[in-house]
Amino acid sequence: MNWSNILTATLSAFFGVNAMYFALSAIGLNVQFGYAGLLNFGQAGFMACGAYAVGMTAHYYGISFWWGVPIAVVYAVIFGLIMGVPTLRLRADYLAIVTIALAECVRLIVRSVTFKKYFGGSDGINQFANSFVSKTPFNPSSKYSLYPFADSVNAVGSVLLLVSFAVCSVLLGHMLAQKWAKEERQGFQTKWIISAVAVMAFLMIASKQTEYDGLSFKSLVVGWILAAVIGGFIYMLMRSPWGRVIKGIREDEDAVRSLGKNVYSYKMQALILGGVIATFSGIMFSVSRGSVQPDNYSRDVTFYVLTALVLGGLAKVSGSIVGPMLFWAILSFVDAFLNELAKSWGGHVDIFGIPLITESSHIGVYVQVVIGLMLVFLMVFRPQGLFGNKKEMALDGH
Amino acid sequence: MNPGDQLKKRLQHLVALLLVGLAVFGMFAEPAHAEDLAVKVRVQNQVQDAGTGKTKKEPVAGVKVVVADTSGAQVGEGVTDDKGVALIPLPAKADYTVTLDESTLPEGFALQEGGAERQVKGDAFVTSTVTVNYFTGAANRATVGWWSQFAQRLADGARFGLILAMCAVGLSLIFGTTGLTNFAHGEMVTFGAMIAYILNTDRAITPWLAFPVAIIAGGAFGLAQNEFIYSPLRKRKIGLVSQMVVTVGVAIVLKNIFLRILGGRTKVFAAFNNQDCKRVGPICVTPRDATTALISLVILVGVALALQKTRLGKATRAVSDNPDLASSTGIDSQKIIRLVWILGGMLAATGGIFRGLDEGVGPFIGSDLLFLMFAGITLGGLGSAYGALVGSFVIGLFVEVSTLGIPIMPGKNWPAPLDWLHNGVPSELKNVPAYVGMIIVLLVRPQGILGRRERVG
Repeated sequence: MNWSNILTATLSAFFGVNAMYFALSAIGLNVQFGYAGLLNFGQAGFMACGAYAVGMTAHYYGISFWWGVPIAVVYAVIFGLIMGVPTLRLRADYLAIVTIALAECVRLIVRSVTFKKYFGGSDGINQFANSFVSKTPFNPSSKYSLYPFADSVNAVGSVLLLVSFAVCSVLLGHMLAQKWAKEERQGFQTKWIISAVAVMAFLMIASKQTEYDGLSFKSLVVGWILAAVIGGFIYMLMRSPWGRVIKGIREDEDAVRSLGKNVYSYKMQALILGGVIATFSGIMFSVSRGSVQPDNYSRDVTFYVLTALVLGGLAKVSGSIVGPMLFWAILSFVDAFLNELAKSWGGHVDIFGIPLITESSHIGVYVQVVIGLMLVFLMVFRPQGLFGNKKEMALDGH
Repeated sequence: MNPGDQLKKRLQHLVALLLVGLAVFGMFAEPAHAEDLAVKVRVQNQVQDAGTGKTKKEPVAGVKVVVADTSGAQVGEGVTDDKGVALIPLPAKADYTVTLDESTLPEGFALQEGGAERQVKGDAFVTSTVTVNYFTGAANRATVGWWSQFAQRLADGARFGLILAMCAVGLSLIFGTTGLTNFAHGEMVTFGAMIAYILNTDRAITPWLAFPVAIIAGGAFGLAQNEFIYSPLRKRKIGLVSQMVVTVGVAIVLKNIFLRILGGRTKVFAAFNNQDCKRVGPICVTPRDATTALISLVILVGVALALQKTRLGKATRAVSDNPDLASSTGIDSQKIIRLVWILGGMLAATGGIFRGLDEGVGPFIGSDLLFLMFAGITLGGLGSAYGALVGSFVIGLFVEVSTLGIPIMPGKNWPAPLDWLHNGVPSELKNVPAYVGMIIVLLVRPQGILGRRERVG
């Protein structure tokens, strides 16, 4: 067992590309599901909108891929309208079925041979983001770390990293202190300071283990800044009159309607806003890989985002960012652990004569089983996730 | 509850647990022999049968295939055997280029679309082998008249519709009695097919025993899900939306366990394989398909009659209509729910076996049908068992028939999405019209054909 490999894999995944694009997607799903109570199972469709918008610019339209960003937003709005119009007046399960079916339609169409000319079929679209890849201060072939005092980080970088770590630890520390202190108001400041220091220490120790290649590192920086900006925007939006109406709809639609609000219109706005945010997730993911593949937007992706969001806590911006980080850290830990286990047992893991792992491709299966179990147990035993508030987790109104 | 009842319930739990446990353990105990990393190249010649219009695939032997890595260095080569298959071992999971040597093709054979050079991506190795298919020969389409093609599609569609209806009735009954939208219902379909496959093919048990056992196991699987997952959730008063998310988690877990047990490739039953089709009027149908269609029809009529006429059927409909009212008239709604899960599990397993006979058994055959089932149920009216029956049948029929274009309609040379009336829906996209149809039904008549208005809001 090589524990340092496992630790590096786990902690790299904690801040990694997967966590970053899941966080963006989860912020969007949180607007829909956490705040507005709309059970959108078609988040992968919105993500595909973003990915294919940027992919198609160079591949099909022959223009710079930066145009993909506004096009992606347009796609997401259209997709949201198609989703919302037939279902937002109906019950939650209808919305779930229609959204997932539409996302599946998108996947079938983009991976079809019939439309290969536009979307590249099941191979997808490759090497379109050259203008993003080439303009980089980071060398794609060397390794980078998020640790502020690492050799690969220059002075500006370490100041930026330190500042963002500090901001993170103040915000997260505040949240943890709230959980910790609960009712009693006394000593809150002390608990806040202790939590913030703890978070800072964790970030410093954890980031020391991380390792990324140049392109991922650039996508990480851009993606996490984007996630922070959008997260801050949603945080403020949900404290605005608009946000209060949205949360009111989740709690009691009829009450909001009796106040003269157009519930249908508000739901549609929430669905589209969440979808547009998810679109950015698709953009960041495809740009970070320089390729778009249709099978990265299968229906399971939506469920994984949902699991990550529920893990962090619904109706909490911080939950929708920390959730995906933890989610991917857990998955990478399981994956790396099983890999090391299989390696040290000679490629074979037998328990009671049952051959659990006989080749490395089996490990992915168990990782996904862990995701499924995580979703089940969270929904049953801790629906508010790690950071959520049980009072805000009012699915079905009870 | 008196002690006798409690004991009975305990025993029921135990039997269900044992059945499922045995089934799962039995499958894991089968030593899955370690397969070495390889690329499997299959070369087939496509010949269109003049009578049926169906394309038959015949293996092509003696074709040389070369595999090279990304740097162009050759890593392996092979010649196809009399099954048209060449298995070329590979050193590692990486990107490869597979090239077919066209000069070794038999006289008069030409490669169809795709070209001689194919890319194999490293991440395509879900199992240890990746299959690369080459097709040769020219299919001549125009030999069969449109009407006989239409009749054939209609017959295939009816058969598929019956299978779909069988799978969907359980989903609809469960929704009707408990309000739960079960996203793991597709896995119940796969479960039946998988148990039947393992008994029939791996354990070489006669299908006359293997299939009934698989159907009973499907019922036990349904019961176990209710007893160990959803019944406790209902007791804890967990909301329906949360329960629905739980079914999603259950679906992910089951799907991956099935993937581990079955492997990624589609497998074929040992029984009733490779039958030649018999001509009946304009259509051509194998005895196997005719039998499964007939059995499905009998089962579905039986279920409909049982719901209409028997005491339990009436009680089930009563619980579907209004659980509280049904309980107050002395119906044990928990018992009815249990019954519905067993029945749903058995029907899904039967549908899964028939689907598996048709398309082969893979870990996703059930989940691929799930949305079509939803579409059928929505069309028929959510919660109405008869609606699910009729709606799924219509959807199955529609999916198969929509792939056939209508020559008198305009759009022959129109670009891809607009030409479907004339050229038919491409078979890779044949589910899309069904999904779109479901959305249109929701817009126009959200309660479906047979549903009632009050269920929707």
